[in-house]
Amino acid sequence: MDDADKLKGTAGQVRWVALRYGLALASVAAALGLARAFAYFHLPQSFGTFALSAIAITFWYAGTGPGSLAALLSSVERDFLFDPQTSIESRLLFDLVFLVFALLMTRVVRGRKELEQRVAERTAELTRSNDDLKREIAEHYQAEYLTGQVFECSPDTILIIGRDYRYKRVNPVHQRNWGRSAESIVGMHVAELVGIEFFEHKVRPFLDRCFAGESVRFEEWFDNAMGHKFLAVSYSPLWSGSGQVEAALAISRDLTELVLASEALRHAQADLAHASRMTTMGELTASLAHEVNQPIAAAVTGASTCVRWLTRDNPDIAEAREAALGVVRNGKRAADIINRIRSLSKKGDLHRQPVDINEVILEIIALLRNEAQRYSISINTDLAEELPKVMADSLQVQQVLMNLIMNSIDAMKEIDPPRVISIRSQSAEDRQLTISVSDTGIGLPPQQADKIFDAFFTTKSHGIGLGLRISRTIIESHGGRLWATPNSPSGANFYFTLPVTLASTE
Amino acid sequence: MSPRSESKFIAIVDDDDSVRDTLQGLLKSVGFSSRVFESAEQFLGSGGHRETACLITDIRMPGMSGLELQARLNAEHCRIPTIFITAHGDEEMRFQALRAGAVEFLPKPFDDEILVESVRAALDR
Repeated sequence: MDDADKLKGTAGQVRWVALRYGLALASVAAALGLARAFAYFHLPQSFGTFALSAIAITFWYAGTGPGSLAALLSSVERDFLFDPQTSIESRLLFDLVFLVFALLMTRVVRGRKELEQRVAERTAELTRSNDDLKREIAEHYQAEYLTGQVFECSPDTILIIGRDYRYKRVNPVHQRNWGRSAESIVGMHVAELVGIEFFEHKVRPFLDRCFAGESVRFEEWFDNAMGHKFLAVSYSPLWSGSGQVEAALAISRDLTELVLASEALRHAQADLAHASRMTTMGELTASLAHEVNQPIAAAVTGASTCVRWLTRDNPDIAEAREAALGVVRNGKRAADIINRIRSLSKKGDLHRQPVDINEVILEIIALLRNEAQRYSISINTDLAEELPKVMADSLQVQQVLMNLIMNSIDAMKEIDPPRVISIRSQSAEDRQLTISVSDTGIGLPPQQADKIFDAFFTTKSHGIGLGLRISRTIIESHGGRLWATPNSPSGANFYFTLPVTLASTE
Repeated sequence: MSPRSESKFIAIVDDDDSVRDTLQGLLKSVGFSSRVFESAEQFLGSGGHRETACLITDIRMPGMSGLELQARLNAEHCRIPTIFITAHGDEEMRFQALRAGAVEFLPKPFDDEILVESVRAALDR
């Protein structure tokens, strides 16, 4: 408020007070005038009647202050103007009457004010609740509208399935996803749509859990007359007012493209891993041939020996038998080695199962021992006993170990002896196993220790730089980590972790 | 058999036990007794090389190789008739071995007849 407004406000207040007190003066003056007029015509009306009326009017319209003034003025008027000769008793009586009347009117006016205030409050309250109601209605309408939009426009199929396993409501997107209109499905039994067998084995168990009050979700390939899709489905119970599950709210999202893409990616990764494995196996040809040749040579010698014992002048059956058993033993050994090579060469799908990591390590050492020997490298092992099993694809883990050991061999070809590879397995924290491959070779490339895991990074003249990249992908897909540190005084340590299976702790 | 060979023996050095054992079995079938060693170091350490009439050794072994063993024996003026058997036979290695006094150089798997004849020849030297 600025000064002008304040001035205007003050002036208004002054006028209002003047008006109210003016009413007191005017009404009392009018009462005196009327009383004089009535007296002039000798009409039987006393001053008191008019004065009380004036006081009442002033109280009612102008408030307690002017009303009290009117009472005072009435008293003075009567005593000094209207009837100056009256007795002292009469004066006192009238004064008392005016006083009592004024007090009475004070209460009446206060009562009126309270009443007005209460009416105003109640009116405000009613207005407020009316506004609230209007807003609620608007919000409700909005919510209803949005709910409808969700149901109509959702990219996910939304269905309501009754306890009789029949569709009660289906949103329009069903037609786009499955090519069947929502109207044609309402009233159908779920089994009619997805097939009886699929319904009994896959759908019904989840629906029944939902009808028992549980929110359930599952992912499954749906294969029926309408198509072949991978769906993520959730069933949520819809409760009735009486606390019963009345129906299931089914929301299904089509993840077919996502699943196909991730399968394609997995296939591509497996192909790449296979190609890399075959490259490594190619490098190992000479060693692997030697590894197979060894038992075959022993078997051939054993068979010759057996023939010699039998074709002597006095054949020795016991010795011949001994030699023949040796042939069997060596034949089996050759077959074992070939099987090992074949399993590394095959292009199998991922097959994870509980794996004894020490067995995997010993298998791969059996294959690479000869390659190491070619370069006068000895392989030491320090394998912890009774390790829990890991959930892994043993072929892939062998590939990782093969890559690491081959790298170590490469790193030591040019250096002075002793050339030693140490392979360790041990339990680590957080339910993990740590496997390490350490060598005394040329070590990690300085300033580039992190880059060795990048694709196409290589320090070898014959490498393409995928071995460590693929190894890291394999280990990470198993939920583990693969990293390298410098070995002391020379060489490198490669570590990888694999999580322990839950089952193996039982 | 010459009287010399009776006091001496045939030594077999190979890191692969099945090869060692089958060789020993083959020699036994033709009436030769032999002793087996799993490394060149073990053979030298046993001191038996002074009594060895014939040495059959693998070339590629962890630690000392067959060729290094031959060189050591030559350096000690202990010239033992030596037969090399190896899966990694290449021509250069073969010449090196034969130049250093090897009797025979056989790739695995070898013909038992040739080995037996080579052993006989070595013992008769």
